[in-house]
Amino acid sequence: MGNAQSGFPGGPPGDKNKKDKKKKKWEPPVPTTIGKRKKRKGPDGIIKLPKVHPTIRCNLKLLKLNRINDYMLMEEEFIQNQQLHKPQEEKTQEERARVDELRGTPITVGSLEEVIDDNHAIISTTTGPEYYVSMLSFVDKDQLEPGCSVLLHSKTYAIVGVLQDDADPMVSVMKLEKAPTESYADVGGLEQQIQEIKEAVELPLTHPELYEEMGIKPPKGVILYGVPGTGKTLLAKAVANQTSATFLRVVGSELIQKYLGDGPKLVRELFRVAEENAPSIVFIDEIDAIGTKRYDSTSGGEKEIQRTMLELLNQLDGFDSRGDVKVIMATNKIESLDPALIRPGRIDRKIEFPLPDVKTKRHIFGIHTSRMTLSEDVDLEEFVMSKDDLSGADIKAICTEAGLLALRERRMKVCNEDFRKAREKVLYRKSEGTPEGLYL
Amino acid sequence: MVEKKPITPSEDVLNPKTAAEKLTKKKAKEQQDELSEEDQQLVNELQMIVDRLKEPSTEIHQSALENLRNIIRSTTGSMTSVPKPLKYLKAHYETLTGLYDSWSDPKNKKLLASILSLLGMAYDKGDKRDCLKYRLLAGYENGTVSEWGHEYVRHIAMEVGAEYAEKADEDDKEAETEQLLNISLEIIPFFLKHNAEADAVDLLSELDHHELIADFVSKETFERVCLYMISCSPLLAPPADLGFLETARKIYHKFGKPSQCLPLSIKLGRPDMIKEDWESCSTRLDKAQLAFIMARQQVHMPELIDDDDDELLACMNNSNLSKNYLDLARDLELLDPKSPEDIYKSHLENTNIDAALDSARHNLASTFVNAFVNAGYGTDKLMTANADGNEWIYKNKDLGMLSAAASLGMIMLWDVEVGLNQIDKYLYTNDNSIKSGAILAIGMLTSSVHDETDSAKALLSDYITEESNPAIVKLAAISGIGMAYAGTNREDIVDILLPIVSDTEITIDLSSIAALSAGLVCIGSGNSDVSTVILQAMMERMDSELNHKYARFMALGLALLYLGSQGTYDAILETLKAITHPISKQASVLIQVCAFAGSGNVLEVQKMLHMCAEHLGEKEDQLPQAFAVLGVGLIAMGEGIGSEMALRTFDHLMHYGEPYVRRAVPLAIALVCASNPLVGVLDTLNKFSHDNDKAVATSAVFAMGIVGAGTNNARLAQLLRQLATYYHRDADMLFTVRIAQGLLHMGKGTMSVNPYHHDRSLLSHTALAGLLIPLVAMINAEKLIITDSHFLLYYLVRAMYPRFLITFDENLESVSASVRVGQAVDAVGQVGRPKTITGFQTHDTPVLLAHSERAELATDKYIPLTNVLEGFVILKKNPEYQEEESA
Repeated sequence: MGNAQSGFPGGPPGDKNKKDKKKKKWEPPVPTTIGKRKKRKGPDGIIKLPKVHPTIRCNLKLLKLNRINDYMLMEEEFIQNQQLHKPQEEKTQEERARVDELRGTPITVGSLEEVIDDNHAIISTTTGPEYYVSMLSFVDKDQLEPGCSVLLHSKTYAIVGVLQDDADPMVSVMKLEKAPTESYADVGGLEQQIQEIKEAVELPLTHPELYEEMGIKPPKGVILYGVPGTGKTLLAKAVANQTSATFLRVVGSELIQKYLGDGPKLVRELFRVAEENAPSIVFIDEIDAIGTKRYDSTSGGEKEIQRTMLELLNQLDGFDSRGDVKVIMATNKIESLDPALIRPGRIDRKIEFPLPDVKTKRHIFGIHTSRMTLSEDVDLEEFVMSKDDLSGADIKAICTEAGLLALRERRMKVCNEDFRKAREKVLYRKSEGTPEGLYL
Repeated sequence: MVEKKPITPSEDVLNPKTAAEKLTKKKAKEQQDELSEEDQQLVNELQMIVDRLKEPSTEIHQSALENLRNIIRSTTGSMTSVPKPLKYLKAHYETLTGLYDSWSDPKNKKLLASILSLLGMAYDKGDKRDCLKYRLLAGYENGTVSEWGHEYVRHIAMEVGAEYAEKADEDDKEAETEQLLNISLEIIPFFLKHNAEADAVDLLSELDHHELIADFVSKETFERVCLYMISCSPLLAPPADLGFLETARKIYHKFGKPSQCLPLSIKLGRPDMIKEDWESCSTRLDKAQLAFIMARQQVHMPELIDDDDDELLACMNNSNLSKNYLDLARDLELLDPKSPEDIYKSHLENTNIDAALDSARHNLASTFVNAFVNAGYGTDKLMTANADGNEWIYKNKDLGMLSAAASLGMIMLWDVEVGLNQIDKYLYTNDNSIKSGAILAIGMLTSSVHDETDSAKALLSDYITEESNPAIVKLAAISGIGMAYAGTNREDIVDILLPIVSDTEITIDLSSIAALSAGLVCIGSGNSDVSTVILQAMMERMDSELNHKYARFMALGLALLYLGSQGTYDAILETLKAITHPISKQASVLIQVCAFAGSGNVLEVQKMLHMCAEHLGEKEDQLPQAFAVLGVGLIAMGEGIGSEMALRTFDHLMHYGEPYVRRAVPLAIALVCASNPLVGVLDTLNKFSHDNDKAVATSAVFAMGIVGAGTNNARLAQLLRQLATYYHRDADMLFTVRIAQGLLHMGKGTMSVNPYHHDRSLLSHTALAGLLIPLVAMINAEKLIITDSHFLLYYLVRAMYPRFLITFDENLESVSASVRVGQAVDAVGQVGRPKTITGFQTHDTPVLLAHSERAELATDKYIPLTNVLEGFVILKKNPEYQEEESA
């Protein structure tokens, strides 16, 4: 234990009774600064508003909130009076000038290695050596965490500021800036599914008290599965369109990164951003890209993908509880997913998207043809009632194809024949993909 | 390749305009088409029913209505959308209301009204309250209120409340409100049956009839109802707050829970209720439990105990406090006395300069540290270690000797017999300082315990009345008697004190302390004799005398009379205005804040803040402002929200306030968080303790001591050690730091000075006064505590109480039971059977409970006689308990 600066507390213990009391010396103050950078921003305790306890709707809650309101009004009044009487600006300016003076003009950026106690830390600079330096008191300690970039005083290397390390740019791209145009009205049928997803994802964010009253925890996430083209992504888009919560969307394959450890890191970042912007919804499309069953593999890449999934497992239901973060996943191969991923507690609701039934098919045809000019002879019932396995996407394809066919003929109206041809074409193409007879 | 033809505009190609037209047409059509078959069918069906209802014949009406009702009932709507029948019926709502008015058959009318009532809820426009209107028309007897499910009932309840609020302003409200009340009486049982106790209470309180809830509660629901009402009470405006408590008490009484009634009776300050609770006890053990609770709150009513039941009397007198405390200490292996050096751990301090800069001051600090740390243990290393403690006493100077001798009272705390023997020898010394110290010690010794022989009065009264005694002896005797008899409201003690208060011949310090003692004795009673005498004294004293540093205690004594009275002091304030000296302002502020202590009254807080916001000139008396700051804490300390918000307010006060305001802020924080070392609060205080203004730093350091009092908080200990290093050159500051260290380790970490007890629900007035007096003195620490009036610190003895939980068996013998101790959780209004503690650990009693911790029994072997496991708890054997077969 080196020489502490004179005048600073926390130096080495005296020589005599060193042994018995030494342990005590080092235990307390460390935890305040590290790893606490979660929800609370700013100095804790004294600034933040008290929590109001009964979460159900009742008079007590109202009374408590009113009480808080009263106090806030009093604070406001007090501060306004004071500001009128004695504007603080001069004072703050003066103080600011003094802080600036102390800070100097920092030119060195270091990275925080370890916090020793409330006032000291170990930092490393790009030039190589690590230093034991003091942290100036005006540095916002709540933003310090091991590994973050700090501004160093030009001479003493004391920490004079924190560079805010923003989230991985990869993650900020995932944030949905513009809501998609698809709404629930654009989803044909799927009423059951819409209701389920609303209950599991939207309602807990808008009306948490309903769940509280029932005494249950709202579901954490849902998985949408079903054969291709049944509207899984469409429904997710509709959710994004409807909600005011932060919507983060990722495709499973995006989480596979070039370097070791980057994938899991990205997952972590993703959920951190989600939590910072809570309430939020994370939508992971094509989850089977990383969520397949684990098996022994010698391929490093494969292992890395599995590790990415393990991180995802931890983020979904690990040691730290996620607040208002809901997860929606979509896949069309649920049977290949790792059972740990979709166990209750991680993904509480599994919503199946079946092929549309007759009624739904009619509805979907209605949606897609509503903006087409159809000639009088078009009889959609014929296609609706046919026994072919048509998914929502197939129907859309038929309609588009029919339109194209009509265009080819320079007609501005689509006739029944076009639809019939289109169906043939679409169904033919569909069966084309299957490898039957490939090995003959 | 498709051959390319230039596209010419022809009739086939749509121009944008027609396209748009077509599109809108389509949309309109689409909207109609959107209804699926089922929906269409439903619409048709509804249409048909409505058509049928429109027909004149009344016979088919009934079947149609039944039909409609079934349709609505059978839809299990999801939470996320409006049920479909309701959606489609909207178009017909007007028709139906029209129909209702035109019909005459009462039976059908009722049926229709009931349906309309539901529809009224769905299409509610805010102020029409159709739902309620039709419900009243449809009748609400025999549980029909609940026919549409709980959401509907809630809606009705809401409309009833709104309607009542509107009607209450009108004059002829009787008939209308009668009806509203009747319907709510139908709703209440439904609420109570469906886990919505809060709604039930809210509804009745909106109708100003909360007392009626008592008639509805059942064995299953009363706990939750009472809990909700009790936690509402501190936030309500008078008189509803007391009304809620009374109702809760009534309910507990109804279900035979005297131990839960009693705290409420005490809170209400009603001796008649306490008596009723006592008499409602079925067994002697129950009475003993009540006696324990009363002893903790210092409610002494020996007249309740019949037949000279000595054991019960001992419980109520707290006679065994010392014995049990020592048992606890033995159990926790704390009996070994600790020396001040064990507390300072100065080897951990980073100084090379020898600490004995000012050895007298150092010794004085050690005296206090020694007294606080070994309080109640009966042994220490300075005073009682060798046969006579004179050696240590003579290491102090002047008044230091007083404090040193008095520290014996602290060490012997609660153990009257042994303590008196120990102190006795000092009563006969010639040194007046030592003698007066011993006198003070007697006063301290007997605080919080009632002893039969009334030894404090017997010993002390002579010293007061005897003219020839020197002032210092009198002073000690007066304050000693105040400590000993605080809160007893005894006439004979007051009679001894009042002549001193009114005597203008003697010095003001004696009168002031006498006024303080009188205030302590009659605390919260509003005793008009005492207040008149104190006021008289203030008027008669010269201005120069009133400028004396002790004069504030006269004002404080006056204020203590009104502690917690919430009003009834107006006459006094008027009288005070007649006094020109600034002390009148001090007194009026103190009276106001004391009267509302713990009430959380926002308006009073606002008044105080206004006072703090003023910027006074150099010449004006700034003490009232400081008192106002303390007052903010004092008023807000009652309930959780208020005290947390007060901490925020203090932050602003610190930022903008005048010097006197600033130095009072840490003290106010200490008041709010006594013995509750929250990390955030410690950080704030630590910041203040390095303030440029030394007065602020002093009070911050002292506040740290109070905040951590009796907790042994390691983090705080380290902070204080750092401060000791930081201030090692400043004797005054170092003294304060040492005191704070002593407070931190008070009773070796087994004590609390928080005036709230019984699960933070009961405010002990005497404890609050004990805390308030040193804090008031600390505002001018440089004149009082730090120089010569350090004995004022001993007033803390009234606030000190062990924070233990000791369990007794049926013979009132101490018994060990395993309990879970954890952080208390606010379980009010939570559904199901929520846990009341979290992060618990299991221990065997006796255990220590920190602030905001709660205990619950971990075995089924016993049943506690009170639901709050704190202090002394009697356990009854559980008759149904079966010993587990050991395999």
